[in-house]
Amino acid sequence: MEDKVTRDNQFNIGHICTRQQCDAGLGEKVAMRWLSPTMERTDYTFGDLERGSNRFANVLTGLGFAPGEIFFTFLPKAPEQFFAFLGTLKSRVVCGTLFANFGEDALLDRLGDSGARGVITKKHFLKKIDRIRDRLPNLKYIILVDSDEHLDNGVLSYSRLMAEAADVFDVPLTGPETPSVLHYTSGSTGKPKGVLHHHRSVIAQNHTSRQVLSLKADDIFWCTADQGWVTGTSYGIIGPWSLGVTQVHYGGGYSAEEWFTLLEHEQVTVWYSAPTALRMLMRESDDLYRRFDLSRLRQISSVGEPLNPEVIHWARRVINKDIYDTWFQTETGAIMICNRPGIEIRPGSMGKPIAGIEPAILADDGTRVSDTNQGNLCLKAGWPSMFATYLNNDSAYNSKFRNGFYYTGDTAFRDSDGFYWFMGRSDDVINTAGHLLSPFEVESALLEIPEISESGVIGAPDDLLFEKVIAFISLHEGQTWSMELELKIRLYISNKVSSIATPQEIRVLERIPKNKSGKIMRRVLKATYLGTDVGDISTLEED
Amino acid sequence: MDIIEILNGIFRQVFDDDTLVVSRATTANDIEEWDSLTHINLAVAVEMKFKIKFALGELQTLKNVGDMVDLINNKIARQ
Repeated sequence: MEDKVTRDNQFNIGHICTRQQCDAGLGEKVAMRWLSPTMERTDYTFGDLERGSNRFANVLTGLGFAPGEIFFTFLPKAPEQFFAFLGTLKSRVVCGTLFANFGEDALLDRLGDSGARGVITKKHFLKKIDRIRDRLPNLKYIILVDSDEHLDNGVLSYSRLMAEAADVFDVPLTGPETPSVLHYTSGSTGKPKGVLHHHRSVIAQNHTSRQVLSLKADDIFWCTADQGWVTGTSYGIIGPWSLGVTQVHYGGGYSAEEWFTLLEHEQVTVWYSAPTALRMLMRESDDLYRRFDLSRLRQISSVGEPLNPEVIHWARRVINKDIYDTWFQTETGAIMICNRPGIEIRPGSMGKPIAGIEPAILADDGTRVSDTNQGNLCLKAGWPSMFATYLNNDSAYNSKFRNGFYYTGDTAFRDSDGFYWFMGRSDDVINTAGHLLSPFEVESALLEIPEISESGVIGAPDDLLFEKVIAFISLHEGQTWSMELELKIRLYISNKVSSIATPQEIRVLERIPKNKSGKIMRRVLKATYLGTDVGDISTLEED
Repeated sequence: MDIIEILNGIFRQVFDDDTLVVSRATTANDIEEWDSLTHINLAVAVEMKFKIKFALGELQTLKNVGDMVDLINNKIARQ
């Protein structure tokens, strides 16, 4: 993959997205068109981004943050997110991002494991952090974007800090192997793992923004992903700004009417969204879309979970556009396999690998599987945006690599024309609305509810979310199932873990099936739920 | 106690925020955690409290808390 973005061995993402664009004469060009939830518009130029991120880099430096330490953003969509992210990277502090709907258990896992020294958030979210702060000995600073005054206990005002900081910052020469961005991702066992990237990832994010999203200098790009997830940083920040492309960011939630108004009024030319959102749009009346002029919209791409053919057919029929599905993971850092202009769209297919990426379909023993046969989707290691490690978990990192290939955890097959087709996961991880969710994380939270004695969680197919969370529980003796308990469980998971972890269905069983070593047999739960053959149950624990 | 007051209590419970105050004009954009998934929690809580049932898709058409109050009123009146 050719590096067309770095200059003079400066790999610093913060520098490339701001200073380098200003040096190229784009200082007065709009970098970010911010639209508030009520659609009030504020434009920020690349010069504004440069100065704002410099100020934030100076803030962290002034607070004593050292390169390699970890700082998190925990914000809903907001302009401060972008200044903080880029400023953190400029100071060579690692920037982690947290989804705004995480509850305190999810926060504790991530802030605790990483040993984060600071976080930027809003007053409204402070209560979640306050509840766990005594278990976060390394967390020294909390910066509030909506407080005019510093509070006590290291809780500081963003506006005051920024006002007092200089708007120039000399970004140190940053090598390709310098730690940069941290996202936590879920596995089927254990706590979420911190996927650490290096500044070299910008090569792949820049390359794919050009080659897959087809971004050009005069484009207006909208990526709907939240910055709490990898798409929101790789393509909601890094890729487009490394190319000097104007991005729209919208602070509101899903609304078909508002989204299409935005696409039309802001003259968006390239739109990157997710299958769940596209399926929600599909549920609206076709008449809604006839009111909008989308003639400027040149490309729609999608990421998160497989895009079902119905969505592609809907888009062709109703808005006269193609949708290009793309595939990547938190660990890959950038798009690896995709549909894109110039390649035939085979609805339902993942598409073909991008230049420089070598996928392979491998059997469990590492041998190659012939075309049209399903196996483990693997990637030859060494692409520029390949994750550097799972933070504090080298053994988990090493377990993902065998004989020079990274095992993605997805299963797929390749057809005889070289198109890849996603088949499922090789583990129990749930993909709900494009977010990977660990059943273990939900099961653990369920066990914190006093009425519940055992829990098992699976993902089941869903027309809208791709997979929905199904919880099986057993109750302690003397407890009875009721609507009140159902609500209590839903709210507990939603507020402690995350809204995306909330079970869509809860089923009560006498006992949760486990094997003789006490491991939950999710395969049996899934078969029971789907009404399919449960298969071999010889290892099932007996009463 | 009128419906908006009862709803205020439900919102506080659902969004785990004792300081939350909703009015007829409150929308999902005013409450950080109000997304399509917490919306379902809200629906379950409202159904339970008022002993009503929402039809599939009925809640998606609501633009603000005022619309929710009106829908609840209509359902109670029809009982």
